[in-house]
Amino acid sequence: MAGENGSAFDAVEQGPEASGRNTETPHGGVGNPAEHPSVTALQGRFDSAVLRHEVQAGDQHVVFLDPGSNRAVLAWLRDDPEQRYDLLVDVTAVDYGGGRPLQIVYQLWSVPHKRALRIKCELPLDGLSIDSVVQLWNAANWLEREVYDLFGVEFRDHPDLRRILMPQNYAEGHPLRKDFPLRGRFSRAEQTRRALSQDYHDDYTPEELEVGGAPGLAPPELPISTDEVGTRLD
Amino acid sequence: MGMSDGEGTDPLSLAEIEALGQAEGRQGGLLGFGHPTFLTTKVDFVVNWARRNSLWPMPFGTACCAIEMMASAASNFDLARFGMERMSFSPRQADVLICAGRVPYKLAPVLRRIWDQMMQPKWCISMGACASSGGVFDTYSMVQGIDTIVPVDVYVPGCPPRPEGLIYGLMMIQEKIRHESLTEHYSLRAENPSLVGRPRAGDEEVEALAGPFGNSTQQDQLSSAAQTTRPERSEDLLP
Repeated sequence: MAGENGSAFDAVEQGPEASGRNTETPHGGVGNPAEHPSVTALQGRFDSAVLRHEVQAGDQHVVFLDPGSNRAVLAWLRDDPEQRYDLLVDVTAVDYGGGRPLQIVYQLWSVPHKRALRIKCELPLDGLSIDSVVQLWNAANWLEREVYDLFGVEFRDHPDLRRILMPQNYAEGHPLRKDFPLRGRFSRAEQTRRALSQDYHDDYTPEELEVGGAPGLAPPELPISTDEVGTRLD
Repeated sequence: MGMSDGEGTDPLSLAEIEALGQAEGRQGGLLGFGHPTFLTTKVDFVVNWARRNSLWPMPFGTACCAIEMMASAASNFDLARFGMERMSFSPRQADVLICAGRVPYKLAPVLRRIWDQMMQPKWCISMGACASSGGVFDTYSMVQGIDTIVPVDVYVPGCPPRPEGLIYGLMMIQEKIRHESLTEHYSLRAENPSLVGRPRAGDEEVEALAGPFGNSTQQDQLSSAAQTTRPERSEDLLP
């Protein structure tokens, strides 16, 4: 609640109060940064790349990384036997507006260790470019396309960086940026005309259009075959 | 309705008709008892009667309005009582397009293509606030009323409308059909083939229909100045 000494979002940031009974959570303990083993290991191994560390929403450990080293650190987090963050839950981005840097968010989950970790990389608005992690997790493919579509972040080495939610002929920019006008940049008439001149062929690569075209054929090769994943950076 | 035999102005009783038929040596008529064997009526009446009592909806449900549309077709409300016996999931066999829910711009060509694929005569219901005007979604990605894409016959307000609302809208379509005439059908319903897949209206009309209204959070002084009169839909200006 908005009290005398805080904003309405303080409770959101602080998260639920610790009950006192269950302080030992799989995430490393409520409100105790030192208890997350991955954070201490990251700080020990990648001292220069780890910029800072926060605990948000009660028990969500967030590690801010230098955007130049995101792929190396994330590859280590995936492959190290003590970490094993083998599930990429989400890749998204946050624009806080006001010229502040745009944050790329990697939400990780370790299935063997039952641990969650959130990695953030801050990108300046005039340098929205970061290494893709599709080579680490195939799940990042569409997620990074979504971030590119809605925020305009370029993911280097992404195999197929196209729009995914907005129409392919969308020319008004990247709608989730704070500097984007809510109604878009074009007039409603122009938007309607452009919407109706979409060609659904634009949404698919020629290989994807082949799927289902001829019955009995196996689907074409993915841009990255699954056996390549995990070996590319080794 | 007239009768084949009958000299006076007084209507004949069934027994008299039967007697007349037997006197002429007929062994049975339309109903097997010497009833009159044909009816006279207006073609418009018969055609409209058939059309309005077998309206097959093409459901284009994209959001929560579609839940109410499904409820309308289910047993409690039972759309089939009014002739919408079957939801036609094929546009070729459908008579009335029910657009239930918000339509983003990416879906606009799909809606337009389904409308173009439907056979004449066809009607369209815009169900709910989002389909009719964009609703609360006055944003970059949302069609501000499907009447910028396809011609709409009946708007059903609500967020979402109750099934009674949708059924009332369909009955308004029936009432509209009842007053239609085959002689003016072409001028009322013909669509220019070159406009297939294009916006229904010109730029100014789209701007007028899609403009901000009501309590839109994006309304400012400029937008209220741009929108001062009620928009005129082009099909309302037809004879």
